[in-house]
Amino acid sequence: MRTKIISAIFRKEIKEVLRDKRMLYLIILLPFFLYPVLFTLIGKVGQSQQEKLSTQSIEVLVSPELKGTAVEEALAQSSELKLNFTDFEEATIDTMSNGIGIKLDVPFDQTMQNNGTASIQILADQSKDLLQFRSRQIRTVLQGVNQNLLKARIDGAGLNPEFAKPLNITQVDLASDQEQAGKALASFLPMIILLFIFVGCIYIAIDITAGEKERKTLQTIFTAPIKVSEIIAGKFAAVFTVGIVSAFMNILSLMVAIMIQVKFMGGEVGSFSISIDPMGWFWLCLIIFLITVFLAALTLAVVLLANSYKEAQSYVSPLMMLIIIPAVMSQMPGMELNTSTALIPMLNISLAIGAILKGGFSTAMIAMVAGMALLYAVIALFFASQTFGNENVVTGEKIDFKSLFSFRKS
Amino acid sequence: MEVKIEARSLTKNFGTFRAVDALSFDVKAGEVFGLLGPNGAGKTTTLRMLSGLLTPSGGEAFIAGHSMEKQQQQARSSLGFLTGDMDLYRRLNPVELLTYFGQLYEVPKATLSARVDKLVDAFGITDFKDRFCEKLSTGQKQRVSIARTLVHDPAVVILDEPTTGLDIMASEFILQFIKKMAQEEGKTVIFSTHHLDEVERLCDRIAIIHQGKLEHYGTISEVKQRTQKENLADAFFQLVN
Repeated sequence: MRTKIISAIFRKEIKEVLRDKRMLYLIILLPFFLYPVLFTLIGKVGQSQQEKLSTQSIEVLVSPELKGTAVEEALAQSSELKLNFTDFEEATIDTMSNGIGIKLDVPFDQTMQNNGTASIQILADQSKDLLQFRSRQIRTVLQGVNQNLLKARIDGAGLNPEFAKPLNITQVDLASDQEQAGKALASFLPMIILLFIFVGCIYIAIDITAGEKERKTLQTIFTAPIKVSEIIAGKFAAVFTVGIVSAFMNILSLMVAIMIQVKFMGGEVGSFSISIDPMGWFWLCLIIFLITVFLAALTLAVVLLANSYKEAQSYVSPLMMLIIIPAVMSQMPGMELNTSTALIPMLNISLAIGAILKGGFSTAMIAMVAGMALLYAVIALFFASQTFGNENVVTGEKIDFKSLFSFRKS
Repeated sequence: MEVKIEARSLTKNFGTFRAVDALSFDVKAGEVFGLLGPNGAGKTTTLRMLSGLLTPSGGEAFIAGHSMEKQQQQARSSLGFLTGDMDLYRRLNPVELLTYFGQLYEVPKATLSARVDKLVDAFGITDFKDRFCEKLSTGQKQRVSIARTLVHDPAVVILDEPTTGLDIMASEFILQFIKKMAQEEGKTVIFSTHHLDEVERLCDRIAIIHQGKLEHYGTISEVKQRTQKENLADAFFQLVN
């Protein structure tokens, strides 16, 4: 392979990409505006929604037995709860658009005097945000009343307050700020990285393959005295570069947006830093490099089968699913990197990136994932060379798919 | 005279359909050779096999003495190929495009710039040399396309319907250039067209193909004599009907 030829093809592809305003906007400029705007918008909308919920009042049907009790006194403190002491059935609450019921099963005062237990039910349609919010508020108020009544009983019996608390359980989180940040990032960053590498690759891959077929420029290069492997290498280098740059831009922008959001919510930006050791960075960069090689080769090979931009886009959706589904699966409870999951494409990458971000990863496992990613990259490059070396694919004729999987000199 | 293009029993099958059936002909240095035939006759498939874009199902093609199958690099280096299925990169200007192809054909760096300047001048590209190709008119694009096929100064040029879609002025420019290439620079040219008047003006010899088979191969006067017709158009209709 001649590096001069590969370099010429690479520079031409990159030059065309840099002159395509639409692609520049989508891959480089959009992320810088999208995430900060999106995150700020989500934060603002969430905050205003919360404020709106906290001012909206609802009607609360309360069993008449609770009138004049500590429960009424506590609930009456909240002006948004319009108390209505009446007998009611569960069905009545169902028919109300904005109503909650508080139902008592035994006479309240008598039960309290006998040091018994009164069961109180909070009836609400939890599918409605406002009712869910208010029912939680009512539960908190009732828990306060319960604490007061318990204290009164303990005092009345002349017991020490510790009588009702044989165990005092507290949970101490040994995770550092960095580890917590790593865990938080590991829950979404692997998927984001995979998606953005893919998205970055796909735009340019379509443009320089199916797009060129549609614009009738692809065949020209195939009549020049160039080896198919040189064409692939030049185009592949361009797709790889845009994929990596796109992922880097998106992740950088996402991190900036997260920092802004942490600051906006009153947190310490410094507490949201991750601690990855040099070996962790090495493995992270190697895995991202290999997966970009794989995705660049895969997207090139697949979209070259299409004869137009539109057709190529229809091939993209199934590919996208192949990336998203394993990445989402990696977030399932109990899913971790082991000798089985390390073999599954995308799932292994997602789990490996997550493990590195969380820290304390097994080098052997990560090395295994890197090895698998390399294998997939080699397979994808082989498939790309088969596709590029197929004259029917290049000339837009009907493709014999069997020929794509047979070994051939290129 | 030296044979520059040789087709030996060229055959192409697409599945069970035989598009080109054992075509044999040769074209000598400095000749303008016309490849004629109705739509679907197999002209473009033949030219694509000669250029190495399609692999023949049978037979072999030679360009400047090099087998397109066994010595593809050398054969392609000696060839400039243009078909109606080829367009220009939208976001490159003509100078960048010619320079790019010069690099692909490994034109020495020292001479590439001068070669590009010469082609820009010869094809009247100067006025729009800095404009992106997507902004060019059809005629301007075709001038750049032909300049592109010549950037490495090939001995053999294959032009598939180079005047299709062009106005009379642009067509005339292209035809004059083809004539000049053969007469003054000694280049060997195969061109296919549906305009038989162009063939009569330019071609030394012709091949008429119909349903993938060679119907006639020789000079224009030979085909007229064979068919007993006064003009090429009548002779052509007789052979393909």
